[in-house]
Amino acid sequence: MSDEGRAEEGIEGQRRLAVIGLGNVLMGDDAFGPTVMGAVDAQYEFPPEVAVLDLGTPGLDLTPYLLGLDAAVIVDTVNASGAAGTIVLYRRDEILKTPPQPRLSPHDPGLKEALLTVAFAGGGPREVLLIGVVPGKVTTGIGLTAAVRAAVAEAAAEVVRELARLGVRARSRSPQSPPDLWWERP
Amino acid sequence: MSTRITVDPITRIEGHLRIDVEVDGGRVKNSWSSGQMYRGIETILQGRDPRDAWVFTQRLCGVCTTVHAIASVRAVENALGIEIPINAQYIRNVILAAHALHDHMVHFYHLSALDWVDVTSALKADPAKAAALGESLSPWPHNSKREMEAVKDKLASFVAGGQLGIFTNGYWGHPAMKLPPEVNLLAVAHYLQALEYQFKANKVVAILGSKTPNIQNLAVGGVANAINLDNQATLNMEKLFMMKDLLDEVAAFVQQVYVPDVAAIGAMYPEWLGYGSGVTNYLSVPDLPLDTKGTQFDLPGGTIVDGNLATLKPITSFQDAYFKDNVTEGITHAWYDGDWDKHPWEEETVPHYTEFDGDKKYSWVKAPRFEGRPMQVGPLAQVLVGYATGHPIIKKYADQVLNTASAIAKVKLTPAVLHSTLGRHAARAVRAATLSELALKHLQLLTENIGKGDVAIFTPWTYPAGEQRGFGFHEAPRGTLSHWVVIRDGKIVNYQAVVPSTWNAGPRDEKGQKGPYEASLVGNPIADTAKPLEVLRTVHSFDPCLACAIHTLDVEGNELSKIRTLT
Repeated sequence: MSDEGRAEEGIEGQRRLAVIGLGNVLMGDDAFGPTVMGAVDAQYEFPPEVAVLDLGTPGLDLTPYLLGLDAAVIVDTVNASGAAGTIVLYRRDEILKTPPQPRLSPHDPGLKEALLTVAFAGGGPREVLLIGVVPGKVTTGIGLTAAVRAAVAEAAAEVVRELARLGVRARSRSPQSPPDLWWERP
Repeated sequence: MSTRITVDPITRIEGHLRIDVEVDGGRVKNSWSSGQMYRGIETILQGRDPRDAWVFTQRLCGVCTTVHAIASVRAVENALGIEIPINAQYIRNVILAAHALHDHMVHFYHLSALDWVDVTSALKADPAKAAALGESLSPWPHNSKREMEAVKDKLASFVAGGQLGIFTNGYWGHPAMKLPPEVNLLAVAHYLQALEYQFKANKVVAILGSKTPNIQNLAVGGVANAINLDNQATLNMEKLFMMKDLLDEVAAFVQQVYVPDVAAIGAMYPEWLGYGSGVTNYLSVPDLPLDTKGTQFDLPGGTIVDGNLATLKPITSFQDAYFKDNVTEGITHAWYDGDWDKHPWEEETVPHYTEFDGDKKYSWVKAPRFEGRPMQVGPLAQVLVGYATGHPIIKKYADQVLNTASAIAKVKLTPAVLHSTLGRHAARAVRAATLSELALKHLQLLTENIGKGDVAIFTPWTYPAGEQRGFGFHEAPRGTLSHWVVIRDGKIVNYQAVVPSTWNAGPRDEKGQKGPYEASLVGNPIADTAKPLEVLRTVHSFDPCLACAIHTLDVEGNELSKIRTLT
């Protein structure tokens, strides 16, 4: 992201909304979330109450970024049926429908646990949209498969639609520069 | 007749860490630790500019981001013989200390406490008694009866709303849960408070790193934090004061809440000071350098063999030959082609997956060894090395934890009890308390040095011709991390990261010596083979982190984790 102060302000909890990309840029299609954040950030400007964050794979460390939010739009790969590149949308209740399971590594927990933890602390987002993509290949290596790359624009458009539904207008950047996907540079 | 239990978190793509234990007569007789994921970072880094390596290694793991960034720049600086300005050391030190404080608090309260704390039992607690207990343990101002009542009400409404989801991954009501309701309530209150304080520690990382979780301010040769005390856009007096306030608050929480909580829980589960020792060879590296060369440090490093503190051999500098020459990784039981034991600079890893066979190959994790020995790494290793060298801050807090726990348990506890499952938690609290003082010290050193007019943050350098080899280590929250790099004509030709969880979670070696997780599980009691809480207690005490390089959300109700019992 180009705006250096964002994460800092984001965890301060001064902003009401966050668009969060999750995923590991070194693991093939798992880079979908960060790639969509790059696309969104390159194309649009948002009012200051919206933070656009590429958070990698924070596990339960996602929690502080959710504290104090009114709404969150999250982009990630999901374990769903369908062809690679299929976009699947989930609301908060659907994400939380099944309880978390006993875990072996303390770093297994993710979005589900983070949402429940902030709910218990009394400060989590009530409105959550997860924009998920069905990945093709998730192994060590850089770059999205063609089918998943083709879904990036649709996911970015979905982010803008959801923000509009939440009353936030995105402005197209002018002039536009290509997204800064540093991990894809040779 | 023995029972075999497999604890295997399963995601759509691959599992992360799998533990198999054989249980006979209510005790673990044998065990296997298996990493279910291939990393292979070297394939991504080969051919790249070494200046960029830290940006990529930072993405190896989503939780331990900064630690891989710091180890990487240290490795490249070591290879190229670069000495960085003292301001850059201090800035890195404040980042790594603040990151570790955040990480240790999250690990204890948010990731491990549910192994010991029965949340539903807290609903039966008397808030007045819980407050009295808290106030007897520490001067912390947020242990009042009113606070305890508020937390109990919050918990009750959460349960009434059917929202206990966050705690369903705990085994409440398990026969191995033994804390009285008041202790459970106090722990739930601190669980909530810890959320706030870990966030304050993380804020310090964000101020210096520009962003978290992936910091932006490092460079091979120093840091990118321009210093001008009167400029809003740079590191200035306002930011230095803000960090001091945050670190003061974090220090109060760690010293007045985390340390006494661990002592109290330890005292109430005294049997867990007897289980889980496993491998009692320990390795830690020195950290928080006090000079530009990396020859003096505020955190001690060294090795201890067979749990005997008298065997201490110190590791003393960023160039330390004892460390450099004695690390190897072996693949006898790991899914790579061949059977060898090599120094990290010499490794050529060719993945070759075969099925899980406990007698042959069963893990993606290699078996690191130091002088041929398996070593336990982590806060316990550093605390024991500190104890052996008479490190005054470590000794102060270690004695405080042992004395507090002794008073509650009404039995004299000696440092020998630290070689255990709960000893690892105690050591993590001791390390956190030590870091809470040292983070402030290094911020003060930075402020004083800037006050003298020194604003240098970067040492210019150029690539020499030919081949260079380097290593960089960092005592990360989970223990000794080392990055090993071979550079030729300004490009990376080999890169290996020997991570703390590799030391601890690694499989058997060619001599059949178990890794630390495996060894620590043997002898643990198992009350209920369908709910092997005891296995989780011991494995969690190491703070495992193999999982982070990959994750895919499971939202369709498929099980994320499976526990299978085969009789």
